[in-house]
Amino acid sequence: MELHRVRRSMAVATSLICTAVAFLSGCGSDSESGSGSGGVTTLTFAASTFGDPGRGPLLTKWLDDFNKSQSKVRVSAAAVPYPTFGQTVLTQMGSGQGPDLIRFDMPEFESASDAGLIAPLDDLIDVSKYDLLKQPDQFMVHDGRRDGIIFEASNYAMFYNADLISKPPTTYEEFAKTAQSLTKGDVYGLAFRQTEAEEAGVWQDIFNYVYGFGGKWSDGKNLTINSPENLKGLQAYKDLYDAKVIPRGADAATFRRMFAEGKVGMELNNGGYVTATRGQNPNLNFSVAPIPFPVRSQGAILAPIVINEASPSKEAAATFIRWALEPANQVKLQEILGASSVATVTQRSAEKLKETPFLKVFDDLTESSLPQIVLGFEAKTPDIRKIVVQNVVAALQGTVDLKTALDRAQEQATKLVG
Amino acid sequence: MRPLRIGLTLRILGVLVVLGVAVFPLYWMIVTALSSNSDLFAAKARLVPDFSQFGVFIDALAEGKALGWLRNSLVIALGTTVLSIGLGIPLGYALSRFSFWGKAVVTVLLLFTQMLPEALMVVPLFSLFRRFGLLDSLGGLILVNSAFVLPIVALILKGAIDGIPRALEESARVDGARPLTVLTRINVPLIAPSIAATAVIAFFHAWNEYVFAVTFIFTPGKQPASVGIANFIGELGTPIQTVMAVAFMFTLPAVVFYLFAQRHVVAGMTAGAVKG
Repeated sequence: MELHRVRRSMAVATSLICTAVAFLSGCGSDSESGSGSGGVTTLTFAASTFGDPGRGPLLTKWLDDFNKSQSKVRVSAAAVPYPTFGQTVLTQMGSGQGPDLIRFDMPEFESASDAGLIAPLDDLIDVSKYDLLKQPDQFMVHDGRRDGIIFEASNYAMFYNADLISKPPTTYEEFAKTAQSLTKGDVYGLAFRQTEAEEAGVWQDIFNYVYGFGGKWSDGKNLTINSPENLKGLQAYKDLYDAKVIPRGADAATFRRMFAEGKVGMELNNGGYVTATRGQNPNLNFSVAPIPFPVRSQGAILAPIVINEASPSKEAAATFIRWALEPANQVKLQEILGASSVATVTQRSAEKLKETPFLKVFDDLTESSLPQIVLGFEAKTPDIRKIVVQNVVAALQGTVDLKTALDRAQEQATKLVG
Repeated sequence: MRPLRIGLTLRILGVLVVLGVAVFPLYWMIVTALSSNSDLFAAKARLVPDFSQFGVFIDALAEGKALGWLRNSLVIALGTTVLSIGLGIPLGYALSRFSFWGKAVVTVLLLFTQMLPEALMVVPLFSLFRRFGLLDSLGGLILVNSAFVLPIVALILKGAIDGIPRALEESARVDGARPLTVLTRINVPLIAPSIAATAVIAFFHAWNEYVFAVTFIFTPGKQPASVGIANFIGELGTPIQTVMAVAFMFTLPAVVFYLFAQRHVVAGMTAGAVKG
């Protein structure tokens, strides 16, 4: 009896599941995009910024402006999660698929360019028509071939909570002392990334310490990972970690939320963070000053927009880039991106400068800011980054001393680049 | 009498502790989702949900995206479960009951596939799927998930079939039953608990899978919830309450499926135990 009951209910359950799968598969297979249907070319644009609170929804509206202005081309945002953005998009592009337009970060841009995954723009966009920002734009051209156009250029500076810090520190010693004095209870003086899980973020953060103390990752021909200047800069980073003035273990999403809630006093971040922070807490009283390290040299997020070599609609993709380069659309994009620069020279409105007086701080840093790549070894940057971050994090965790860690990183990276 | 009561109390306490440990993450997800910004990082953690923040669930569902992700996850997980069990039963039966050349090698190879990390297979499978037009489709994900979970399903079912006395099958054959009839009428009902257990394994594997889903699906409307939730993690900020609200909704269908399957594990175990 019982056996029959089980058999019957199993049969019913299986039938129900099969029906549900068949029904839902039908629902789930609706294709949202496709090229050429109804004479309209639909393109996908992948950018990790679409996921940012504050900036993401505004960028989607900016795309809507483009779609309204066109009758033959439509651009839709491809949702690729930020944590695996580079890996996912490069895998897709490497197999001849992927989004038509991509906003890359520099290390992945260099890898994609080296692998021939990016369509050259020379015949698609006449850049002589535009007043491009020279300093960031020089990194968009490889061996005379233009691979990208700057979508966002964002210099790193020191963000500080103006309610907690009345006068921003101007030297490293003051910086460390301020961080120490602010760390009390549930408030931390400073925050930065310090775990291997956030490899790309740790690289961005330590870049400022290395360059801010006069170091560099290479001299253009040879790697200089274990140079005395690099050791000094990374020792400063480790000293702050050891002093427990940061929320150890907290990832960027958490400590940035903490900054927005007034629980973190200072953070080194790029101009894009202005809009993101206001998006999280419009009432936070914060300001920005140059990073107070001995040498005025810091990282910059350069994020190029590129066309996928595998895209069947390169001309349509170029239409979008040309639209984005129009002066009015550049101004709109810059306002969305916050304190970042865009591809061309733009004038900030008096209203914007009044609303955000520290915008000038970011603009003044453009000449001393560098993309976070290893010069001379651009395409190998992601691999070198992995080696350096692994060794630095090992030193933070105390499994090896910092000098040995950097010597080891130098040896491993030299072997890698040949 | 007294030692009996103490024993019972201790057992109840033990069960409550285990239950607390199991349920606490779910509870903490609700508390975090229903916390205000200032509560999130307050010195004293909030221990009870603030129901005035319930709008976060409504906002998460408002655009319809989250429901679409859950629907896609359900399609992929149920499809994987049906396909892997449908193929796993005959495979497990063949490994258990038939002698053929290379049987030991097949068994070892099945085990070997379990040692390959998914990330290692992404690029070759991507090229293969592209050739067969399986990219950007839920069917493709059902296929790849089934391929990964089928070996373990087959090996568990083989073990279950090994435990059925051959005499039962021989009796059925004497009565004129064909091999397929023996499998479906005799073996399948007897291994129902194992089928339910493997269904849970297959369902959960496909429900949580991320690496293939994020790489093989391009259209936002086809993304499963595992990828959809990751979309909330931005470069410069993450709406923690929204992530927790969607993550909580993401756990519910899986829990319901487990409860459904668990009933059959228990029902199957007792089936035939009492003469009817």
